[in-house]
Amino acid sequence: MKNPYYPIETVVEDVIVETPTIKTFVLAPSRPIKFKAGQFMQLTVPGYGEAPFTPSSSPSVAEKMEITILRTGKITDALHALKPGAEVGLRGPFGKGYPMEKLEGKEALVVGGGVGLAPLRSLIYALLENPKKYKRVSIKYGARSPEELCFKRQYDGWSKAAPNVDFTNTIDVPAAGWTGRVGLVTTLLDGLDIDLDNSIAVSCGPEIMLKFVTLKLLEVGYKPPQIYLSMNRKMSCGMGKCGRCNVGHYYLCVDGPDMCYDKIKHVPNVFG
Amino acid sequence: MYFIDATNFERFLKKLSAQGELFVPVRNAESGKLRLERVENFPLPENLALDGYRTVEPLKTFAQLLRCPVAGYPSTEGDEMPDEKTFPATVIVGARGCDLAALALVDKVETEGEFTDPFYKIRRERMILIGADCGECGASCFCNLLGGKPWPEKGCDISIAKIQGGYLAEAASERGEKLVKESRDLFAETRDAQVKMRDDARGAVVRKLEEQNRSFPKVDAKLTEIVRAALQDEAWDDISARCVECGACTNICPTCYCFLLYDQRADGSHFQRIFTWDSCQVTGYARMAGMLNPRPRLTDRVKHRYYHKYDYLVQSHGAVFCTGCGRCIDTCSAGIDMREALRTIQKTAKAAKV
Repeated sequence: MKNPYYPIETVVEDVIVETPTIKTFVLAPSRPIKFKAGQFMQLTVPGYGEAPFTPSSSPSVAEKMEITILRTGKITDALHALKPGAEVGLRGPFGKGYPMEKLEGKEALVVGGGVGLAPLRSLIYALLENPKKYKRVSIKYGARSPEELCFKRQYDGWSKAAPNVDFTNTIDVPAAGWTGRVGLVTTLLDGLDIDLDNSIAVSCGPEIMLKFVTLKLLEVGYKPPQIYLSMNRKMSCGMGKCGRCNVGHYYLCVDGPDMCYDKIKHVPNVFG
Repeated sequence: MYFIDATNFERFLKKLSAQGELFVPVRNAESGKLRLERVENFPLPENLALDGYRTVEPLKTFAQLLRCPVAGYPSTEGDEMPDEKTFPATVIVGARGCDLAALALVDKVETEGEFTDPFYKIRRERMILIGADCGECGASCFCNLLGGKPWPEKGCDISIAKIQGGYLAEAASERGEKLVKESRDLFAETRDAQVKMRDDARGAVVRKLEEQNRSFPKVDAKLTEIVRAALQDEAWDDISARCVECGACTNICPTCYCFLLYDQRADGSHFQRIFTWDSCQVTGYARMAGMLNPRPRLTDRVKHRYYHKYDYLVQSHGAVFCTGCGRCIDTCSAGIDMREALRTIQKTAKAAKV
């Protein structure tokens, strides 16, 4: 019998600085870990404990895994101090992941905010691996400022990946030297030229952003069953047993973390 | 069904004690309450109590330890579970109907579905359970409102009922049958009068339960519908107004299973992962990095406990996670009574309809 609480020994191979607050950790687990886009891992910093993160790398690669992390608390502080060669631990994958089958043949609208683009990058890798399977892949991304735009080096590649793929980004407030779009990510959803009846929207970002993206999507005509949100709750076990990650009667660690809005729309304070 | 006299019952327990750590309910002279005590030497303690009602501690404490290490890392054994034989086997005597039903509910969470908690599963499989009839009910007992009975209906290996001169005993599982067979000489045939004695005693406890709980609502599908619909009801503010957020209700609850994992340094470069019970009633339970909290208000947390038991788990695991043991009522220093809370919700729902 296996001990599901034991963290698999993992080496930090590289640390990529994405923004002043976000780093990507290239991890080499001692045995390959297969995951689906959107599934999450429990990442252990020895002595500090675990926190849940969704890989930002391609789900086709099991030998290495990239996890992109915003510095925001005790464990992420410890993570950000790690150098290549450091030893960490991994448990997982947990959760259902993104609704890949539902996206087939559809117009996928991918909406990210801040470090929320990290789990979505895993989805983007999966979608762009075979763009013909989807009618369209439209990526909308917003960050606070030009420095906080994550994965900048990849935007061009995404835009040019296939004729049916597009990428647009924005920053929240004007900044010196910035010539691109300014405004919250929801402004990218104004005047969408999308086949509404044939589209699925997937969004990840801070709770407040998820709330306004959802309201905007409903306003432009999406129906709740067409909206998938990466929900945030505290997690510990990852196996639907420790109890804390509930949204209504769902445990995000087994039923999510990406939840169809239709299933959770009745939950009070669903966005915190 | 068999009859076993007190002397032979003691012999039987002595034999059983070879199978694992033996625990029996004993009565505290001062409070009159029962708790489980480890028996390492015979004779059995003088204050052995197989009458009375459930013990202070719930059965979950034997399967899901309050706090225990679940992993040491890094380790050369990696993620292999330790040998099952390193886990203690237990023989628990005097498990009451409400507690057996509660344990069956926790089993659902811990051992069914995609993941199993192997620590729970191993401890659970190494438990021998001797159920016992309740000889009376406590003031906080309300198993009858949940369709429960003050005797073991299922979930134990052998079921006993204290009657004059000894106990009526019935094997209630394959393992129980085997255990009785192995000590068949200790068990005698029953007489009809003895069975009647037990049934009369059962009837008396049921009547008392019905009497003391008659003003409270029965927990049925209709009530869970009412609770579900009352999610935004302001009555929850009143129910939670007295709560002091101590978490005693969740700790003592036989069906509350929430826990937290935390890590600590063992020595040098070795670390331990510790499993510990946690309570949804305290602020930090669901608080995330950056101080985000889906239930920042105490009302939300108190309400969550009711919703988890009476709605969410009905939807996810097909059962109300309360068996009416009444421990949360006994333990609450603010005097919050779950039965009253449900009655309040039922009343406000009715008022709203008028």
